[in-house]
Amino acid sequence: MSNAASAHAHAHHWETSAAPMLIVGGVLFSVVFGFVSWFSYSNILWTQICAGIGVPLLLAGIAIWTAEALTQKPVMEGLTPIALPFFIVSEVFIFMGIFASYWTMRLSAGPNWPPAGTPTDMNLVLPIIMTIILVSSSATYHIAEEKIKHSDLGGFRLWLLISIVLGAIFLGCTIYEYQHLFHMNFKPSTNAYSTAFYSITGFHASHVVVGLGSFLTVLIAAMAGRTNKYLTFCVGLYWHFVDVVWFFVVSQVYYW
Amino acid sequence: MSTASSGFKLSEWIFTTDHKRIGILYLIGSIAAFAVAGIMALLIRIEQSAPGPTIVSDAFTGGDQYNVWLYFHGAAMILGFLIPGLTGFAANYLLPLMIGAKDVAFPRINALSVWLFWAGIVVALLTFIVPDKPDIMWTGYPPYSVNTAGNTALYVFTVHLMGFSSILAAVNFLVTIIYMRAPGMGWNQLNMFVWSCFTALIIQLIFVPVLASAVTLLLFDRYLGTHFFDPANGGDVLLYQNLFWFYSHPAVYVIFLPAMGIFYEIFATMAKNPIFNYKAAVYGGMCFIVLISGEVWVHHLYYSGMPDWLRIGQMVTTLMISVPVGLMTISLFGTLYKGAITFNIPMYYGTAALYLLLIGGLTGIPLAMTVMSVHLGETSFTHAHFHFIMGIFATFAVFAGVDFWFPKISGKMLNVSQGKLGFWFNFIGVNITFWPLFIIGVEGMPRRYWDYSQFPAHFAGYHKVATIGAFIVAIGMVLTISNWIISAIKGEKAPNNPWGSNSLEWTHTATPPGPGNFPKPVTVDADWTPYNYK
Repeated sequence: MSNAASAHAHAHHWETSAAPMLIVGGVLFSVVFGFVSWFSYSNILWTQICAGIGVPLLLAGIAIWTAEALTQKPVMEGLTPIALPFFIVSEVFIFMGIFASYWTMRLSAGPNWPPAGTPTDMNLVLPIIMTIILVSSSATYHIAEEKIKHSDLGGFRLWLLISIVLGAIFLGCTIYEYQHLFHMNFKPSTNAYSTAFYSITGFHASHVVVGLGSFLTVLIAAMAGRTNKYLTFCVGLYWHFVDVVWFFVVSQVYYW
Repeated sequence: MSTASSGFKLSEWIFTTDHKRIGILYLIGSIAAFAVAGIMALLIRIEQSAPGPTIVSDAFTGGDQYNVWLYFHGAAMILGFLIPGLTGFAANYLLPLMIGAKDVAFPRINALSVWLFWAGIVVALLTFIVPDKPDIMWTGYPPYSVNTAGNTALYVFTVHLMGFSSILAAVNFLVTIIYMRAPGMGWNQLNMFVWSCFTALIIQLIFVPVLASAVTLLLFDRYLGTHFFDPANGGDVLLYQNLFWFYSHPAVYVIFLPAMGIFYEIFATMAKNPIFNYKAAVYGGMCFIVLISGEVWVHHLYYSGMPDWLRIGQMVTTLMISVPVGLMTISLFGTLYKGAITFNIPMYYGTAALYLLLIGGLTGIPLAMTVMSVHLGETSFTHAHFHFIMGIFATFAVFAGVDFWFPKISGKMLNVSQGKLGFWFNFIGVNITFWPLFIIGVEGMPRRYWDYSQFPAHFAGYHKVATIGAFIVAIGMVLTISNWIISAIKGEKAPNNPWGSNSLEWTHTATPPGPGNFPKPVTVDADWTPYNYK
């Protein structure tokens, strides 16, 4: 639909989109019903069924949403980069809630920290490597943004792909670290420190997953030759936000 | 006019991204939640009508059954009815119309919000299907919520879905109000309802995530074995209460502010007066509430243990809330002053609201004061207090709002006699229900107890009266809601501006408004206000 046609259509049709409902259905099945089947009723079959229904719905919803966002005219141009910071304010408060909980436990423990059960030889080199990786991925995405500003679609795809790979390596490091710590019998239920450690790093990692997902969405669209300056700006801003949060995670959880 | 697609098409409703239709979807969902939560209220009242087991099966499991009703009544009324009824339905339908925009900034995100809300309703309703029903009130305090056999996950996900819906709606509407006002519309020319939503949504944006984090940690504690709220392993039970009320006290204002906004619109229109003390009510009232809403939550923890200096400080901040609320109330009364008031159904509710505001507000003062709160706080006095100020005041706001904008939304007029009959049942019923609870509250009737055999025998009489009141309210609700449905189908056709309002949603749109809202783009002059009646 051309822009003129869609502007005309706007005044005479009830606008519709199937994407929001698909996404909500996907979340409901894969996250809510999946979690409840697994944890409340220990029913593996039901968990699989819920994931089997939910994940395709979610992916279809995101795909349709992205396609519509890239082709249709917005109600008002250029509001997305303004709205995302509002959402990030909200995200900041989620992290504040969790960090505040950690600080409460940490400060009330006084000198008995870290509590018994914490490995004495926590790997303190890996977090530095992970920091370097994550910061570099922010930098490489910045290069990608510069490329697309100069209409270099090929360069954009390349640097975006590099950012995705770096983000994936970061997640790999988290998984490696978790496995290592589990072998040392340091589990979420071990003590107050493990409680905070897994909750905060896990919550941050879930944001990395969302960031990577949005990178992938942009990459797939860019492969089809479609980009949108607001979208590329927003996924970048979110990624930088996730990067900044990591500094708090590292300084508070690993080195304090 | 823009009514190209005539007739009802299901796909145009369930896939809609139009703010008006999304508003109506919010209304349907919140009324459904209201109906089921109302039935829970009746069950609670029947159980309380006599000491000992009345409808619970026996004394041993009675508490468990009763807890499920308390859980669903509280959670569904607040998360499923009041918040979505005001910042969902009313804000969705009215904000873009009042500021002269053709839709919200992000229509697809708006649709995502409404379906997340509906998903929250679905998860909440699972309570009645699963064997391990959640039984943790709407507060979900640990350690009970961590140790109970009830399904805490359903509670947590209800909060998550509704919360995420609220956050997205807040982002969407804040951007809409800031950037999409009609050319020429300054901040001091906004409708009071727009201001009230603007301030309420700022509160949503900042505080809802904290609740989300609290219940997430609860989920971790319950299912992953972490120790956030487990004092035996370095956690802190009160931590949850702090995080929870850090959101849930401001949530009171998320409900209160738009409710006031609706009454401002009705009062100004029906009295044909400008808002009395507009700037004082907006900046000194609403904006000031945003500023101090986050500094009073600790008064919910008076009985949980805290140092005295903190109690005193919280008493001061809590009492300070009466300053902005007082400013807003004065401006509400002042708007009626020397007006040629039209007394119709919305105005009936509006007048009742003044009374509810007074009783609910004044009974809040002793509860804010620590010395009295120690005696009254955990009694049915508190229960009656917050039902007056929050439950009934805000419910009446939703009803008044629906009645007031009904001609615009449906294109039909309400049946006046049925509406008024419904009002009188509602109004008389709530008084019969909650005044006895004030009285026995002062005498020491505890909140939340299902059985009160160990308390003085005359409590039973008061409880019986309250139960009768609840059934009178139920009749009123059925009359009110059935009136909407019947009138929407076969009511008299409504004129374009039946109340003679000056606000954009009445003066510049078709009835009901079509896609794109305004036939041609709206601009306003420097001397335009929605209350320019002189």
